[in-house]
Formats: sequence, C-alpha cells, structure tokens
Amino acid sequence: MRDAALSTLDQLDAAAAEAEGTFQMDEDAFRLFYERTSRPVWAYLARMSGSARLADDLLQETYYRFLRANVPYESDAHRRNYLFRIATNIVRDLRRRPRVDESGPGNGHLSEERADPRTADTADGAIRRVDLARSMARLKPRERDLLWLAYAQGSSHKEIADTLGLKTASVKLLLFRARRRLARFLREGVR
Amino acid sequence: MRETILECPREADLVEAIAFGRWPDRCGDLTTHVATCEICADLADVALALHDDRAALCHEAQPPSSGMVWWRATIRARAEATRTATQPISVLQGIAGACAAGAAAGLVTIAWHSMHWMERIGELAVRLESRRADIASASTFATGHGLPILVAVAAGLVLAPLALYITLADD
Repeated sequence: MRDAALSTLDQLDAAAAEAEGTFQMDEDAFRLFYERTSRPVWAYLARMSGSARLADDLLQETYYRFLRANVPYESDAHRRNYLFRIATNIVRDLRRRPRVDESGPGNGHLSEERADPRTADTADGAIRRVDLARSMARLKPRERDLLWLAYAQGSSHKEIADTLGLKTASVKLLLFRARRRLARFLREGVR
Repeated sequence: MRETILECPREADLVEAIAFGRWPDRCGDLTTHVATCEICADLADVALALHDDRAALCHEAQPPSSGMVWWRATIRARAEATRTATQPISVLQGIAGACAAGAAAGLVTIAWHSMHWMERIGELAVRLESRRADIASASTFATGHGLPILVAVAAGLVLAPLALYITLADD
C-alpha cells in the first residue's frame, strides 16, 4: 500500500518535472506571479461571467493557457496584460457557448452567490453592487471589458487596446460611450 | 454640426483620486469641478462603482493555492502531451487494422472461388466415373492442389482476427 502511494508520488513528481520542461516559467516564479495576479483576475472573471463558481474554473483555465503560451518575459505589466487578454478570450468563448442555465454574464447572480455581510460594509454598499451588476448586464460585452479594464484594473488605453484587440485610437471613443451608458444605467437604478 | 467633447483635462486627476481612495473627501476643487462637468460626473459615478466592486470582489475571492493550480496544470500538460504522442500510433493501428481486415476479405474471396473450383473438380469426377481408370489421377489432382488451398483459407480465417487483436490491443 505504502509502495503504491510512493509510486503515485513518484509519478506525480515525474509529471511535475516533465511539465517544468513544458512550461517556460518555473514553479517559484509562477507562485509569485500568481499571488500578485490571481485575485484581480478572479474579480475580472467573476464580474464578466457573472458567477463566482464559474470564475473559479475560468481562473484555472486562464493560468493553464498562460503557462502553455510560454510568454517571454518583457515586464511584469506585459505578463499581466497577457494574462488579462487570455481571460478576456476565455470569457468571450464562454459567451459564444450555448447556455445551459440562465446564469449568464452579469445577471446579478454574483452578488447573491457570495453576499456576505462581513464583506459588504453596509447595506447601502451591497445595494450599490447589485445596481452595478444589473447595469453592467445591460451593457455590451465589449463595453463591460473596456470599463473594467480602464477603471477597475487601471489599464492604459494602449494596454486596453492590446488586451481587447482594438486600435488604441478607438479606445477613447468606445470608452466614452460605454461610460456614458453605464452612468445613465446606474442613475436609473438609483431612482 | 456640434462636435462632441470626449474628454476633460481633469479626468486623470479624478481617476487617480478614486484609485487612491481620496475621492470625494480629500479632493478640494476637484469636487467643485465634477459638480459642473458632465464628463467628470459620469466618470466619477462609473469609476467609483467599479473601483469599489473590484475591491469587494478581490476581498471575497478565494482562489485556489498556486501549488494546486500549478499541479493541475502539470497533470493536464502531461495528459495532453501523452495524447499528442499517441495520436500517430493510433493512426498506424487503424491502418494495420484496415490491412488485416482487407487480407481477411481477400482470403474469404479466394476460399469462395476455390469452392467453385472444387465443384468443377467434383463434376469432372462424375464425368470420369465411367472411366474408372482416370479416377485415381483425378483424385491425385484434387489432393495435390485443393488441400493446400483449404489449409491456407483456414489459416487465414484463424490468423486474421488474431492479427487484428494483437494490432489493436493497447498493452
């Protein structure tokens, strides 16, 4: 029994060693990168997919594709942007897939799934988040991506263009329109 | 035609104030500006809502440990590498299987033709019945050529499925 367990461990070690050859990044570098980026990426995936449970799976997929891509190191910002580009593509693929249930992007399920009184500072804060989720759901997917990257993630126009595959010059106008629409929806929600 | 103004020079200040948690209490004249600027008013509503939402989501997030994500990725990479490596073998197995099936079909055809041939031998034997002297030579002919064919057909029928099994077996 013990031998069998050891054999399994050996196999896992061998698999890990083999995969280390597959991935350009080593495990320590990955750990540091993951600790810096996993929460923002999870937040992005959760808000764009509208589901915390789905975000857990999408997070794994995002990092897997990132590791397989063997992105050459240019800078931390470059790696982070690449990661968000992968996350964006994964969410796009998800939107194209036929829906099994009604838990679609930004339908407000997220706020209900993890509505924790300790994290929602006040009832007012929780209501604002539900309003935001509902307002975001009324936007086009690209508008949601744009706004999140610009104002939640703090990305520059160039970074947004790279992530979403747009021209830098068009980001300003698209962002302006998306922002105006969301602001209107938020005010309508408040009323 | 009136040109739509897309940006305000104070946008960057406002985004920075929101990002660093200074908005709206510690912004001085920026608050006054936002009250009169439509672009900045929209920006303040949107950026603040998204900033707060991100902060709350990051706080709520319970991502798996990096070790777990790494381990799953390695296992999946290995599985994919194995699948890629075994793909050509599967193709060869398929070709070998098709060849074995073709050979078996060929043998069955030969056997079928040989049965007709044996019938003709039988007819010949009937014709020769009257000429008893020739029976011995006819039976010698049938024994000399018919038996090897029958043996070949039987061997083919036994060996073809066996060859197919050995070719397609995983281990």
